[in-house]
Amino acid sequence: MSPKIRVVSIIVRGLLLACAWAALGAPAFTAASTAAAPAAAPAAPASAATTPASGTAAPAQAPPAAAPAAADAPPTEFKTLDQEVQGLKKDVIDLNKDLFVLEEELLFPANTQVALYVSMDVGTFFALDSVTVKIDNKEVKNYLYTAREADALLKGGVQQIYLGNLKVGKHELVAFFTGKGPTDRDYKRGATINFDKGVGAKYLELKITDRVAKHQPEFAIKDWE
Amino acid sequence: MRRLLLAASLALGAALTSSMAAAPTLLGKSAPDFVLKGLDGRNLRMSEFRGQVVLVNFWARWAGDSREEIPALDRINTTYQRAGLVILGVSVDEDLARAREFAGAMKVSYPLLFDTGADIGKEYMLQKMPMTILIDRSGVVRYSNVGFKRGDERAYLDHIRELLRE
Repeated sequence: MSPKIRVVSIIVRGLLLACAWAALGAPAFTAASTAAAPAAAPAAPASAATTPASGTAAPAQAPPAAAPAAADAPPTEFKTLDQEVQGLKKDVIDLNKDLFVLEEELLFPANTQVALYVSMDVGTFFALDSVTVKIDNKEVKNYLYTAREADALLKGGVQQIYLGNLKVGKHELVAFFTGKGPTDRDYKRGATINFDKGVGAKYLELKITDRVAKHQPEFAIKDWE
Repeated sequence: MRRLLLAASLALGAALTSSMAAAPTLLGKSAPDFVLKGLDGRNLRMSEFRGQVVLVNFWARWAGDSREEIPALDRINTTYQRAGLVILGVSVDEDLARAREFAGAMKVSYPLLFDTGADIGKEYMLQKMPMTILIDRSGVVRYSNVGFKRGDERAYLDHIRELLRE
Protein backbone atom coordinates (compact mmCIF):
# COMPACT_ATOMS: atom_id res chain seq x y z
CA MET A 1 0.00 0.00 0.00
CA SER A 2 1.40 3.42 -0.96
CA PRO A 3 1.98 6.00 1.81
CA LYS A 4 -0.72 8.31 0.37
CA ILE A 5 -3.37 5.61 0.55
CA ARG A 6 -2.22 4.72 4.07
CA VAL A 7 -2.49 8.35 5.16
CA VAL A 8 -6.04 8.54 3.79
CA SER A 9 -6.99 5.24 5.43
CA ILE A 10 -5.58 6.38 8.78
CA ILE A 11 -7.44 9.70 8.57
CA VAL A 12 -10.69 7.86 7.72
CA ARG A 13 -10.14 5.48 10.63
CA GLY A 14 -9.41 8.41 12.92
CA LEU A 15 -12.66 10.08 11.84
CA LEU A 16 -14.57 6.85 12.42
CA LEU A 17 -13.05 6.63 15.89
CA ALA A 18 -14.06 10.22 16.59
CA CYS A 19 -17.62 9.40 15.47
CA ALA A 20 -17.60 6.36 17.72
CA TRP A 21 -16.52 8.53 20.65
CA ALA A 22 -19.31 10.97 19.87
CA ALA A 23 -21.80 8.13 19.65
CA LEU A 24 -20.55 6.80 22.98
CA GLY A 25 -21.06 10.23 24.48
CA ALA A 26 -24.84 9.92 23.94
CA PRO A 27 -25.30 6.72 25.98
CA ALA A 28 -23.17 8.22 28.70
CA PHE A 29 -25.49 11.19 28.91
CA THR A 30 -28.61 9.09 28.73
CA ALA A 31 -27.23 6.92 31.52
CA ALA A 32 -26.67 10.06 33.52
CA SER A 33 -30.15 11.34 32.80
CA THR A 34 -31.78 8.01 33.75
CA ALA A 35 -29.76 8.00 36.93
CA ALA A 36 -30.87 11.55 37.61
CA ALA A 37 -34.55 10.68 37.17
CA PRO A 38 -34.97 8.60 40.37
CA ALA A 39 -33.07 11.25 42.24
CA ALA A 40 -35.65 13.76 41.13
CA ALA A 41 -38.49 11.50 42.16
CA PRO A 42 -38.20 12.07 45.92
CA ALA A 43 -38.63 15.79 45.30
CA ALA A 44 -42.33 15.25 44.55
CA PRO A 45 -43.12 13.51 47.86
CA ALA A 46 -41.18 16.21 49.62
CA SER A 47 -43.43 18.85 48.17
CA ALA A 48 -46.39 16.60 48.87
CA ALA A 49 -45.37 16.51 52.51
CA THR A 50 -47.23 19.77 52.96
CA THR A 51 -50.47 17.94 52.07
CA PRO A 52 -52.37 15.93 54.71
CA ALA A 53 -50.71 12.81 56.15
CA SER A 54 -52.94 10.37 54.25
CA GLY A 55 -51.81 11.89 50.99
CA THR A 56 -48.12 11.59 51.81
CA ALA A 57 -48.23 7.88 52.65
CA ALA A 58 -48.43 6.62 49.08
CA PRO A 59 -45.65 8.76 47.57
CA ALA A 60 -43.40 8.03 50.56
CA GLN A 61 -43.46 4.30 49.74
CA ALA A 62 -42.87 4.76 46.04
CA PRO A 63 -39.20 5.86 46.09
CA PRO A 64 -37.86 2.74 47.95
CA ALA A 65 -39.51 0.52 45.32
CA ALA A 66 -38.03 2.54 42.46
CA ALA A 67 -34.58 2.80 44.01
CA PRO A 68 -33.47 -0.88 43.64
CA ALA A 69 -34.56 -0.89 40.00
CA ALA A 70 -32.54 2.26 39.38
CA ALA A 71 -29.53 0.82 41.21
CA ASP A 72 -29.62 -2.37 39.14
CA ALA A 73 -29.97 -0.70 35.75
CA PRO A 74 -26.70 1.30 35.46
CA PRO A 75 -24.20 -1.58 35.93
CA THR A 76 -25.34 -3.43 32.79
CA GLU A 77 -25.27 -0.21 30.83
CA PHE A 78 -21.87 0.67 32.18
CA LYS A 79 -20.64 -2.83 31.44
CA THR A 80 -21.45 -2.52 27.75
CA LEU A 81 -20.09 1.01 27.79
CA ASP A 82 -16.88 -0.27 29.37
CA GLN A 83 -16.58 -2.95 26.68
CA GLU A 84 -17.03 -0.34 23.99
CA VAL A 85 -14.41 1.89 25.61
CA GLN A 86 -11.99 -1.04 25.80
CA GLY A 87 -12.60 -1.75 22.09
CA LEU A 88 -11.98 1.88 21.26
CA LYS A 89 -8.78 1.89 23.32
CA LYS A 90 -7.55 -1.09 21.32
CA ASP A 91 -8.40 0.75 18.09
CA VAL A 92 -6.46 3.78 19.31
CA ILE A 93 -3.43 1.59 20.08
CA ASP A 94 -3.65 0.00 16.61
CA LEU A 95 -3.96 3.43 15.02
CA ASN A 96 -0.98 4.67 17.01
CA LYS A 97 1.09 1.73 15.81
CA ASP A 98 0.10 2.44 12.19
CA LEU A 99 1.00 6.10 12.65
CA PHE A 100 4.41 5.13 14.05
CA VAL A 101 5.11 2.85 11.09
CA LEU A 102 3.86 5.50 8.68
CA GLU A 103 5.98 8.19 10.32
CA GLU A 104 9.05 6.01 9.96
CA GLU A 105 8.17 5.29 6.33
CA LEU A 106 7.70 8.98 5.57
CA LEU A 107 10.71 10.31 7.50
CA PHE A 108 13.02 7.48 6.54
CA PRO A 109 11.75 6.05 3.25
CA ALA A 110 13.21 2.68 2.31
CA ASN A 111 15.09 4.09 -0.67
CA THR A 112 17.15 6.42 1.55
CA GLN A 113 16.98 4.71 4.94
CA VAL A 114 20.12 3.66 6.72
CA ALA A 115 19.98 2.05 10.16
CA LEU A 116 22.93 1.27 12.42
CA TYR A 117 22.86 -1.27 15.21
CA VAL A 118 25.34 -2.05 17.99
CA SER A 119 25.87 -5.52 19.38
CA MET A 120 28.40 -6.88 21.82
CA ASP A 121 29.55 -10.43 22.38
CA VAL A 122 31.20 -11.63 25.61
CA GLY A 123 32.95 -8.35 26.48
CA THR A 124 35.71 -9.89 28.61
CA PHE A 125 38.37 -7.71 27.03
CA PHE A 126 36.37 -4.54 26.56
CA ALA A 127 34.05 -2.41 28.70
CA LEU A 128 32.13 -0.11 26.36
CA ASP A 129 32.00 3.58 27.23
CA SER A 130 30.99 5.38 24.05
CA VAL A 131 30.51 5.04 20.31
CA THR A 132 30.98 7.83 17.80
CA VAL A 133 29.73 7.35 14.26
CA LYS A 134 30.81 9.35 11.25
CA ILE A 135 29.26 8.97 7.82
CA ASP A 136 31.14 10.59 4.96
CA ASN A 137 33.33 12.40 7.50
CA LYS A 138 30.35 13.97 9.25
CA GLU A 139 29.59 13.02 12.85
CA VAL A 140 26.05 11.69 13.00
CA LYS A 141 26.02 10.12 16.43
CA ASN A 142 27.92 10.20 19.69
CA TYR A 143 26.48 7.88 22.31
CA LEU A 144 27.62 7.46 25.93
CA TYR A 145 26.73 4.14 27.51
CA THR A 146 25.69 3.80 31.12
CA ALA A 147 26.62 0.62 33.02
CA ARG A 148 23.04 -0.58 32.64
CA GLU A 149 23.05 -0.11 28.87
CA ALA A 150 26.41 -1.85 28.50
CA ASP A 151 25.05 -4.75 30.58
CA ALA A 152 22.01 -4.98 28.32
CA LEU A 153 24.30 -5.28 25.30
CA LEU A 154 26.32 -8.00 27.02
CA LYS A 155 23.13 -9.90 27.70
CA GLY A 156 22.43 -10.05 23.99
CA GLY A 157 20.61 -6.79 23.43
CA VAL A 158 20.96 -5.05 20.08
CA GLN A 159 20.70 -1.27 20.08
CA GLN A 160 19.57 0.86 17.18
CA ILE A 161 22.07 3.66 17.55
CA TYR A 162 21.19 5.65 14.46
CA LEU A 163 18.45 5.93 11.87
CA GLY A 164 18.87 8.37 9.03
CA ASN A 165 18.73 9.02 5.34
CA LEU A 166 21.43 8.64 2.72
CA LYS A 167 21.51 9.16 -1.00
CA VAL A 168 21.98 6.22 -3.30
CA GLY A 169 25.67 5.69 -4.02
CA LYS A 170 28.98 5.04 -2.30
CA HIS A 171 29.50 6.07 1.31
CA GLU A 172 32.05 5.65 4.05
CA LEU A 173 31.19 4.91 7.66
CA VAL A 174 33.69 5.20 10.49
CA ALA A 175 32.86 4.12 14.02
CA PHE A 176 35.02 4.91 17.05
CA PHE A 177 34.68 2.79 20.14
CA THR A 178 36.04 4.00 23.48
CA GLY A 179 36.12 2.16 26.78
CA LYS A 180 38.35 0.12 29.02
CA GLY A 181 40.43 -2.53 27.32
CA PRO A 182 42.38 -5.46 28.71
CA THR A 183 44.11 -4.73 32.05
CA ASP A 184 41.64 -1.88 32.57
CA ARG A 185 43.46 0.53 30.28
CA ASP A 186 41.75 3.29 28.29
CA TYR A 187 41.05 1.93 24.87
CA LYS A 188 40.00 3.59 21.64
CA ARG A 189 39.62 1.78 18.35
CA GLY A 190 37.99 2.52 15.04
CA ALA A 191 36.33 0.47 12.34
CA THR A 192 35.60 1.58 8.79
CA ILE A 193 33.34 0.32 6.07
CA ASN A 194 32.77 1.51 2.53
CA PHE A 195 29.34 0.58 1.36
CA ASP A 196 27.02 1.05 -1.55
CA LYS A 197 23.61 2.46 -0.74
CA GLY A 198 21.13 0.93 -3.14
CA VAL A 199 17.42 1.64 -3.58
CA GLY A 200 16.48 -0.47 -0.57
CA ALA A 201 17.05 0.22 3.13
CA LYS A 202 20.58 -0.33 4.39
CA TYR A 203 21.25 -2.07 7.70
CA LEU A 204 24.71 -2.04 9.26
CA GLU A 205 25.79 -3.66 12.49
CA LEU A 206 28.67 -2.44 14.64
CA LYS A 207 29.95 -5.62 16.27
CA ILE A 208 32.18 -5.83 19.31
CA THR A 209 33.57 -9.29 19.92
CA ASP A 210 36.41 -10.84 21.90
CA ARG A 211 39.41 -12.27 20.08
CA VAL A 212 40.40 -14.90 22.62
CA ALA A 213 43.64 -15.93 20.89
CA LYS A 214 45.07 -12.40 21.14
CA HIS A 215 43.32 -11.42 24.37
CA GLN A 216 42.02 -8.34 22.60
CA PRO A 217 38.61 -7.03 21.62
CA GLU A 218 37.68 -6.90 17.96
CA PHE A 219 35.56 -4.29 16.25
CA ALA A 220 33.83 -4.93 12.97
CA ILE A 221 31.04 -3.51 10.86
CA LYS A 222 28.72 -5.96 9.20
CA ASP A 223 26.67 -5.04 6.17
CA TRP A 224 23.29 -6.78 6.29
CA GLU A 225 22.30 -7.18 2.67
CA MET B 1 8.32 65.12 42.55
CA ARG B 2 9.44 62.50 45.05
CA ARG B 3 6.13 60.73 44.67
CA LEU B 4 6.52 60.74 40.92
CA LEU B 5 10.00 59.25 41.21
CA LEU B 6 8.72 56.65 43.65
CA ALA B 7 5.86 55.72 41.33
CA ALA B 8 8.24 55.48 38.36
CA SER B 9 10.68 53.27 40.25
CA LEU B 10 7.81 51.04 41.43
CA ALA B 11 6.53 50.71 37.87
CA LEU B 12 10.04 49.87 36.65
CA GLY B 13 10.42 47.29 39.42
CA ALA B 14 7.07 45.73 38.56
CA ALA B 15 8.03 45.60 34.89
CA LEU B 16 11.35 43.95 35.72
CA THR B 17 9.64 41.42 38.00
CA SER B 18 7.09 40.56 35.33
CA SER B 19 9.83 40.17 32.71
CA MET B 20 11.72 37.85 35.07
CA ALA B 21 8.57 35.87 35.73
CA ALA B 22 8.01 35.55 31.99
CA ALA B 23 11.42 33.94 31.54
CA PRO B 24 10.94 30.51 30.00
CA THR B 25 11.06 27.64 32.47
CA LEU B 26 10.52 23.92 32.30
CA LEU B 27 8.04 23.88 35.19
CA GLY B 28 5.31 21.33 34.56
CA LYS B 29 7.14 19.89 31.56
CA SER B 30 9.07 16.67 31.17
CA ALA B 31 12.71 17.09 32.11
CA PRO B 32 14.96 16.65 29.05
CA ASP B 33 17.02 13.49 29.30
CA PHE B 34 20.80 13.61 29.35
CA VAL B 35 23.74 11.29 29.73
CA LEU B 36 27.00 12.66 31.10
CA LYS B 37 30.32 11.43 32.36
CA GLY B 38 30.89 11.65 36.08
CA LEU B 39 33.95 12.43 38.14
CA ASP B 40 34.57 8.70 38.64
CA GLY B 41 34.46 8.07 34.88
CA ARG B 42 31.02 6.44 34.89
CA ASN B 43 28.28 7.64 32.57
CA LEU B 44 24.95 8.50 34.14
CA ARG B 45 21.65 8.85 32.33
CA MET B 46 19.04 10.97 34.03
CA SER B 47 16.08 8.88 32.81
CA GLU B 48 17.49 5.82 34.58
CA PHE B 49 16.42 7.44 37.86
CA ARG B 50 12.75 7.56 36.81
CA GLY B 51 10.65 6.57 39.81
CA GLN B 52 12.85 8.54 42.19
CA VAL B 53 12.83 12.21 43.05
CA VAL B 54 15.76 13.82 41.24
CA LEU B 55 17.40 17.12 42.12
CA VAL B 56 19.63 18.45 39.34
CA ASN B 57 22.02 21.18 40.39
CA PHE B 58 23.78 23.04 37.60
CA TRP B 59 26.95 24.52 38.98
CA ALA B 60 30.09 26.27 37.82
CA ARG B 61 33.46 26.68 39.45
CA TRP B 62 33.39 30.43 38.87
CA ALA B 63 29.96 30.91 40.48
CA GLY B 64 30.55 31.86 44.11
CA ASP B 65 27.07 30.68 45.16
CA SER B 66 27.92 27.17 43.97
CA ARG B 67 30.58 26.92 46.67
CA GLU B 68 27.89 27.52 49.29
CA GLU B 69 25.19 25.45 47.66
CA ILE B 70 27.15 22.24 47.01
CA PRO B 71 27.89 21.51 50.71
CA ALA B 72 24.24 22.28 51.57
CA LEU B 73 23.10 19.80 48.90
CA ASP B 74 25.55 17.25 50.22
CA ARG B 75 23.93 17.48 53.67
CA ILE B 76 20.49 17.01 52.08
CA ASN B 77 21.78 14.03 50.13
CA THR B 78 23.15 12.22 53.18
CA THR B 79 19.78 12.57 54.89
CA TYR B 80 17.34 11.90 52.06
CA GLN B 81 19.26 9.52 49.82
CA ARG B 82 17.74 6.50 51.56
CA ALA B 83 14.25 7.96 51.16
CA GLY B 84 14.56 7.89 47.36
CA LEU B 85 16.20 11.20 46.55
CA VAL B 86 18.87 11.38 43.85
CA ILE B 87 21.05 14.47 43.52
CA LEU B 88 23.02 15.06 40.34
CA GLY B 89 25.46 17.94 40.14
CA VAL B 90 26.08 19.07 36.57
CA SER B 91 29.04 21.28 35.83
CA VAL B 92 28.69 23.63 32.89
CA ASP B 93 32.29 24.77 33.15
CA GLU B 94 34.10 24.96 29.82
CA ASP B 95 37.45 24.21 31.45
CA LEU B 96 36.96 20.52 32.16
CA ALA B 97 40.29 19.99 33.92
CA ARG B 98 39.71 22.80 36.42
CA ALA B 99 36.09 21.76 36.93
CA ARG B 100 37.28 18.24 37.76
CA GLU B 101 39.85 19.63 40.15
CA PHE B 102 37.19 21.74 41.86
CA ALA B 103 34.75 18.82 42.02
CA GLY B 104 37.42 16.57 43.51
CA ALA B 105 38.14 19.13 46.21
CA MET B 106 34.43 19.43 47.15
CA LYS B 107 34.30 15.75 48.17
CA VAL B 108 30.54 15.35 47.95
CA SER B 109 28.56 12.13 48.35
CA TYR B 110 26.47 12.58 45.19
CA PRO B 111 27.62 12.25 41.56
CA LEU B 112 29.14 15.29 39.92
CA LEU B 113 28.81 15.26 36.14
CA PHE B 114 30.41 17.36 33.42
CA ASP B 115 28.68 18.93 30.45
CA THR B 116 31.22 20.19 28.01
CA GLY B 117 28.93 20.49 25.00
CA ALA B 118 26.63 23.18 26.52
CA ASP B 119 23.62 21.44 24.94
CA ILE B 120 22.05 20.59 28.27
CA GLY B 121 22.29 24.21 29.37
CA LYS B 122 20.15 25.18 26.39
CA GLU B 123 17.66 22.39 26.94
CA TYR B 124 17.25 23.33 30.60
CA MET B 125 17.06 27.06 29.75
CA LEU B 126 19.77 27.97 32.23
CA GLN B 127 19.56 31.64 33.14
CA LYS B 128 22.14 32.01 35.88
CA MET B 129 24.57 29.85 37.83
CA PRO B 130 23.87 27.97 39.99
CA MET B 131 20.43 26.67 39.08
CA THR B 132 18.56 23.88 40.81
CA ILE B 133 15.71 21.83 39.43
CA LEU B 134 13.52 19.28 41.19
CA ILE B 135 12.03 16.49 39.12
CA ASP B 136 9.24 14.29 40.43
CA ARG B 137 8.99 10.51 40.19
CA SER B 138 7.30 10.68 36.78
CA GLY B 139 10.03 12.87 35.29
CA VAL B 140 8.23 16.23 35.40
CA VAL B 141 9.99 19.41 36.52
CA ARG B 142 8.19 20.61 39.64
CA TYR B 143 10.43 23.28 41.10
CA SER B 144 13.34 25.40 40.00
CA ASN B 145 15.53 27.91 41.76
CA VAL B 146 17.90 30.32 40.08
CA GLY B 147 20.95 31.35 42.10
CA PHE B 148 21.44 30.43 45.72
CA LYS B 149 21.28 32.34 48.96
CA ARG B 150 21.49 31.11 52.51
CA GLY B 151 18.12 29.67 53.51
CA ASP B 152 17.23 28.38 50.05
CA GLU B 153 18.04 24.87 51.24
CA ARG B 154 14.98 25.06 53.52
CA ALA B 155 12.78 25.64 50.46
CA TYR B 156 14.51 22.69 48.76
CA LEU B 157 13.73 20.50 51.76
CA ASP B 158 10.05 21.50 51.75
CA HIS B 159 9.71 20.60 48.09
CA ILE B 160 11.76 17.41 48.41
CA ARG B 161 9.63 16.16 51.32
CA GLU B 162 6.47 16.96 49.38
CA LEU B 163 7.67 15.08 46.28
CA LEU B 164 8.94 12.11 48.28
CA ARG B 165 5.49 11.75 49.86
CA GLU B 166 3.78 11.50 46.45
